[in-house]
Order: sequence, then structure tokens, then C-alpha cells
Amino acid sequence: MVDFIRGQLILISLLVFILGLIYQLIQFFRLTKEKEWVYPPLEVKSEKKTAGKWVSLCLASLNGTMWKTYPVMTVMTSVFHVFLIVVPIFLLGHNMLLDQSWGLSLWSLPESITDILSIVILICVAFFLARRLFLARVRAITTLYDYLILLIALAPFLTGYFAYHQWFNYDTVITLHILAGEVMLITIPFTKLGHMLFFFLYRFLIGNEYSFARGARAW
Amino acid sequence: MDNSMANQEAKAVDTKQIKEMLNRRKGKMKRYLSYCAHCSLCAESCFLYMEHHKDPRYMPSYKAINSLGKLYRKRGNVDRKLLTEMKGIVWRNCVLCGRCYCPIGIHIPSMIAFARSILRSQDVYPQLDEVSSESWL
Repeated sequence: MVDFIRGQLILISLLVFILGLIYQLIQFFRLTKEKEWVYPPLEVKSEKKTAGKWVSLCLASLNGTMWKTYPVMTVMTSVFHVFLIVVPIFLLGHNMLLDQSWGLSLWSLPESITDILSIVILICVAFFLARRLFLARVRAITTLYDYLILLIALAPFLTGYFAYHQWFNYDTVITLHILAGEVMLITIPFTKLGHMLFFFLYRFLIGNEYSFARGARAW
Repeated sequence: MDNSMANQEAKAVDTKQIKEMLNRRKGKMKRYLSYCAHCSLCAESCFLYMEHHKDPRYMPSYKAINSLGKLYRKRGNVDRKLLTEMKGIVWRNCVLCGRCYCPIGIHIPSMIAFARSILRSQDVYPQLDEVSSESWL
């Protein structure tokens, strides 16, 4: 009996769970297909939508969002920020060091992939730099400080890339790499890199205040 | 020029009062200013920016940085000339419609509104009842 609970039942319960959810999902869409009218329905003919129509509808739903206003910037900044977090955390070398010192480690991405992702990050940084240099509206609010912040974000990845490929003097490069990482960690809370934390605070705090919370906290 | 306008320009700036006001709200306001990534993504959300042929001076971030940002950067040590320049930014270039959008969630209108309060405390504000609406611009 105990063997059954610890063995087959786990699989059975997982199967019931997933198949049951899929069944209920299908039922929901099946049952809501027919409109039920409280009032007698108006004579509305819904037109059959072609594929082109669907695409234009989907695109129209993006109106007024960043995807529509700045598509390139949105893709670049999303990719940059996701990889900025993912690459150092799931890097093989970092996890091996973690394992050596603390005896624990996270999953690791293959080195060939993290290598490409680092290049992607460097390309994104180049894109941000180009915006700062060549777009009038970004230049209007750019100071030397902004370039410094960009450098702080760039340095760990550039030195990391050099270190992985053993370019230049490895000892110097790896020391610079560690230093660059430390500088970034230290500067995040007290510079505009703090948007790492505050992005989530603003987003979820405001949403929360409008729904579950008392609405007493004003940002 | 009538008397009240003359007064507006003659009176010395009470930097102590400005400093006090800046200090009172520095927790939030300085964080707003320091977490602004200067990305310029707020630009298109401002109708004045769009209507002025995308002139960067009408960007929400530009307006906040060059009014309240300047007050904090100079720690309140400003002269009347600078305050008068800011008057144009916070009253003419921004109407506080509150539609500006910041991807990081910085509340730009409250910065502009605070800058207006500080300017008003020094008698720097548009006096539309006494001068024609164009002449203060």
C-alpha cells in the first residue's frame, strides 16, 4: 500500500490533474461558444475573419503600447534585460565555483549558448550606446553619468567574454571581471541601475494597491 | 509691466525655504530622479511632445530633469533667472494632464507638480489675469 502511494499513485494523480484540467478547459470553451442572451439578440452578423484580418486585429491590439511605438527598442531592451540576469546565473563557470565553495549549484546552460548570449548582450549595449549618441531626444537628457552607467553594465560581460576566450593576460582579465561584477552589484542599489528593484516594486505595488491592498500606499 | 510682475522679479529668492521644501520630499523625489534611466521612452506619451514635432524639450523626462532635477542638483541654490526659466518648463511645456508613461513606473506628474509648488512659493508663476497669456511665455 505504502509502495503504491509512493510510486504509481504519484503518476496517476499527476495524470488526473493534467488531463482533468485539459478536459475542463475544453469544456469551458465548448460551453461558452453559444451566446446566451438575457435580452432578445440583436440581428448582428459576425463576419468571417480572414487570416489577414486576424493579423491586423492582433497588431491593432498593440496600439498605444511600447511594442508599437518602439518595436526595435522593445525587443532589444527585453532581450538585454532577460539575458543580463540569465547569463551570469546559469553560467557553467559560475556554477562550478559555487559548487566548489558552497557545495551547491544551479543548472547550467551549455557554454556555447552562454557565449552567444554574451555577444547578444554586447550588441544590445552597442544599440543603447548608439541611441544615446545619435537620437536627439535621448541625447537631450544624456550626461556623462549615463555613459558611466552603461559602462558599469557592460564591463562584466566584456571582461567575462575576454576571460572565457582567454584573450589578453588571463589573470588580469579575470581579476577585472570579478571587480566589474562587484562594482555592478555595489552600484545597483544606489544608482539608476536601481530600476532592477524598483521596476518590480512600482509594477506590482501599484497593481496590488488597485486590487487586493487597502489602497493606502501612494507612490 | 505692472506692480505684481515687478514684485515677482525684484524679490530675492528664499533659498532656505526652497531647501526646506526639497528636503521634506527628498525620499521619493530623489529616488524618482535617480532611478530615471534616461531612456526617453516616455517621449511619445506626451501630446505636447508630439504636437511640437517631437522637440526633445517637451519630453516628460526632460521637463522633470530640468525643473525638479535641477533644483535638487543645485541643492536649492538657484537664482530668479533660473526659476523663471523653469516657469516655462513646468507651466507652458507641461499641462499636468497626467498621461505620461514611464516604463519603470516613475510618477512624472508629481515631480512637475512639486516643482510648481516650489516655484509658486517664490512667487514665480504665470499671472494670466494680469498679463496676456502670451507675454509670460
